[in-house]
Amino acid sequence: MLQRDSIANTFRVAILLCLVCSVAVSSLAVGLRSTQQRKKEEFRQQNILKAAGLWPEDAGNVNTTELFQKNIQAVVVDLTTDQIAEKWSAGDPEIETEAALRDVNLSSTIDGGDETGNDVAGIRRREQFATIYEVRDGDRLKTVILPIRGYGLWSTLWGFIAIDYSSATTDPQSLKVVGLTYYKHAETPGLGGEVDNPAWQQKWPDKKVFDSDWSVRLEVAKNATGDYQVDALSGATLTSNGVSNMLLYWLGDSGYGPYLKSLLNQQAPGTPSKN
Amino acid sequence: MAEQNTKKILLDPVIENNPITLQILGLCSALAVTTNLNTAIVMAIAVTLVTACSSAAVAYIRNSIPSSIRIIVQMTVIASMVIVVDQFLQAFAFSLSQKLSVFVGLIITNCIVMGRAEAFAMKNSPWISFVDGIGNGLGYSVILIIIGFVRELFGSGKVLGMTVLPLVTDGGWYVPNGLMLISPSAFFLIGLLVWLNRTIRPGQMEKE
Repeated sequence: MLQRDSIANTFRVAILLCLVCSVAVSSLAVGLRSTQQRKKEEFRQQNILKAAGLWPEDAGNVNTTELFQKNIQAVVVDLTTDQIAEKWSAGDPEIETEAALRDVNLSSTIDGGDETGNDVAGIRRREQFATIYEVRDGDRLKTVILPIRGYGLWSTLWGFIAIDYSSATTDPQSLKVVGLTYYKHAETPGLGGEVDNPAWQQKWPDKKVFDSDWSVRLEVAKNATGDYQVDALSGATLTSNGVSNMLLYWLGDSGYGPYLKSLLNQQAPGTPSKN
Repeated sequence: MAEQNTKKILLDPVIENNPITLQILGLCSALAVTTNLNTAIVMAIAVTLVTACSSAAVAYIRNSIPSSIRIIVQMTVIASMVIVVDQFLQAFAFSLSQKLSVFVGLIITNCIVMGRAEAFAMKNSPWISFVDGIGNGLGYSVILIIIGFVRELFGSGKVLGMTVLPLVTDGGWYVPNGLMLISPSAFFLIGLLVWLNRTIRPGQMEKE
């Protein structure tokens, strides 16, 4: 029998303990992965619904997936041509953002060129095919929900911004925010983490997004005034800047800007509608 | 005699020798997760389970832990337990795990867990260490639940998410106390509890 405090025993105990703990922890993690993933997807759908203002206040027994499927349609947009991508359909595993970002054929480095623009959001790569979400009433587009992401202080924030098309005219200034939500980030709880705070998210609806030339004017600012600014989070300047930057990127020319423009042209009164 | 002892070990830390009000341990999480009762209860259960299971595990292997790495061994056991709890929360209580965010992971640094492993479990049998862990977890839980209750009631007029004091903003009469929603209020409440406890039990006061 080895002595308890001998060097050999110290190593033996350390190695055995590490083995036992790591096997236990990792087998549990693998075993629970599918349940966790389902919950995560449900949470993402909830955030899409929340951004679109369709999530009920007293959501006690709401079936997220059912509500989502009833109201929301997913559309795949090709960010290179700024049109609906026929080649893919929403939910294809290849174009899920995280998978696409690892695939050189489906995403490209944001290099400051004409296509991908400057990397103001700090995300390094942009996927070519993005899945966006629409709420329609018959044929008429009501709301577009766009996935956005960008770097804050510690982490990339993943979220959605919903834009109201129901009362849109030909003027880009008529496009207003319906809501903004985040479903994944690792900002400091209580400071940057307040992007989750419903009280702060309440400040977003009805803000304008673009000026008359389609430049993104919506931003987070200290002592916000006017129709384009939302109050910054106190004690979280870098997270607040991150939010502004990701809006600038994703709603701008390298993001969904041109597609939003074409949607407005289809939708605005005066242009013939499809039916 | 043995049974008496078990009962004493289980119940002593709940009030008499409470880890928060007497030993002033585990304050960080007590401040962070008590803005409402719901998260406080989940945190309390998580800490109780982790303390009990890790104490039992450490006690089980106590005779073979080399003294030079005993703290690391305890940490490893505790960290594994915390990951287990965190994984379960993510799978079965996702929205709660979002609210608790980093604080579940930070149970690892909760001094109560480590304190019990080092001070008690290293010298006692697994069963009694388990009981001791449950007892200390309960002591922590009691304080967390009291603070969570007070903060949620006066901070947002609710108990477990149900409106008790209708807020002015919702057409009621109660003006919520904003202080209760931020962490310092938990400090004040813990201070008051320590005061109360030491007034009832003068034996707990430090000697001059």
